[in-house]
Amino acid sequence: MTNHLSPIVLNALADGELSADQLAIAKEHLDGCSSCTSNALAQALLKTATAKSGQRYAVPRDFQERMKRLASQQPSQPETPALRSNRIPLPASRNAFAGWATAAIVLVLLGSWIFLEHHALRTNVASTENAALVTEVCDLHIATLAANQPPQVVSSDRHTVKPWFQGKLPFSFNLPDNLPDDTKLDGANLTYLHNRPVAQLLYSIGRHHVSVFIQERTSVSESSNLPTEHSGFQISTFSTQDLEGIAVSDVDPTRLSSLVGLIQRAQTDANSRPASTP
Amino acid sequence: MTLLPWRRKVRESGPQTSSFEDLALPLLPALYNVAFWLARNAHDAEDLVQETFLKALRGFSSFEPGSNFKAWIFRILRNTYLTSRSGLASLRTVALEDELGEQDESGPTLHPEGAIDRQTPELNLIRLGDQAALHVAMEKLPPPLLEVILLCDVEEMKYKEIAAILEVPIGTVMSRIARARAFLRKELQTSTAATREIRI
Repeated sequence: MTNHLSPIVLNALADGELSADQLAIAKEHLDGCSSCTSNALAQALLKTATAKSGQRYAVPRDFQERMKRLASQQPSQPETPALRSNRIPLPASRNAFAGWATAAIVLVLLGSWIFLEHHALRTNVASTENAALVTEVCDLHIATLAANQPPQVVSSDRHTVKPWFQGKLPFSFNLPDNLPDDTKLDGANLTYLHNRPVAQLLYSIGRHHVSVFIQERTSVSESSNLPTEHSGFQISTFSTQDLEGIAVSDVDPTRLSSLVGLIQRAQTDANSRPASTP
Repeated sequence: MTLLPWRRKVRESGPQTSSFEDLALPLLPALYNVAFWLARNAHDAEDLVQETFLKALRGFSSFEPGSNFKAWIFRILRNTYLTSRSGLASLRTVALEDELGEQDESGPTLHPEGAIDRQTPELNLIRLGDQAALHVAMEKLPPPLLEVILLCDVEEMKYKEIAAILEVPIGTVMSRIARARAFLRKELQTSTAATREIRI
């Protein structure tokens, strides 16, 4: 196989820009060329990673408000000050009353508007952050499967996996010792979620792979309102006083929840044990 | 075949409205993000977006309802950037890149095989997990390559839309995307090699 797909074709493939004919030719080539298949996957992963990395700068709130005010201006009516100067003045007492009344109404309206805006903004920000977190978690899980690399620590022994994270994470966690028959620990990776170090525990339930991401709990709980499904993957979460966990897999949701429950209990059981217990 | 179907969101616009506010405000985060990447600082990014909004507001009567508002306003942003201080500095780079781009459009054989690293794809896959390294690599991208990557990957625009915004042929868009991704992969590889040397 000498005539490999060109970079332009590989990029167009990743961008979904090939025509049906071009796509058929490319697919036929990919079926027999592992080198191009690998490069096509790398291009697709690069695109995903770039999209994530490129979505970086959030609009400052005050600037957003300024732009809202600017955008709400009607292009056909820019002469507001001139219109205001043409008003007929009211008698002094009536003018004062009208002024106070207007001020009160404006205050009430402004207060209501700020409350509603703040509420809507918080809701929007929370839902956007949750969506970004789920997407990142799923992408990491997929990238782990696609890379076809062994985990950074390969062991089914929790006493090997847990100590491996010493000095690598600013927190510690426990792993359950009694797993169901068809569930086993494959190993773990040190990875990053929203630029924070997290432990990615890799389990197998039957032939299904599971990634469990454990991170330090912050003041704002990120995983509390995550969707239970994303792009066909099941999502299950747990949180303790100090930790948050997010599990992703294509396994049956009941079995995933069962594993997550065991991991959660491992944290809480350990906390309730005497201090001398290892 | 789309390799990443979960990333390919449906972007059809909703019911057509004639209000500038309705059309422009949802695009504010995207405009600001691209502006920040291009201008490299918050103050210039705000100036750039505000100037874009003002120009768009003034010219909104000339906008054809039903056509692509996103492409229209991004084109204004890009033209505003090019006439800004930092944009003017990138103009020379645009000319040079176009020169290279025309060569690339003539066929795939002109691409050096090294543009796609066929020897160590695994290395690249591993490195792609490192967002910090990728961010550093993106910051090193020349402006013409950075803007095309932002529009294609971050804004998920089609090549046709990007070509309309940048006012270049689709072939140039394709070759810039190829060069931008080759650049990123090379940077990530260099970064990986440097990390390995430090570890050794």
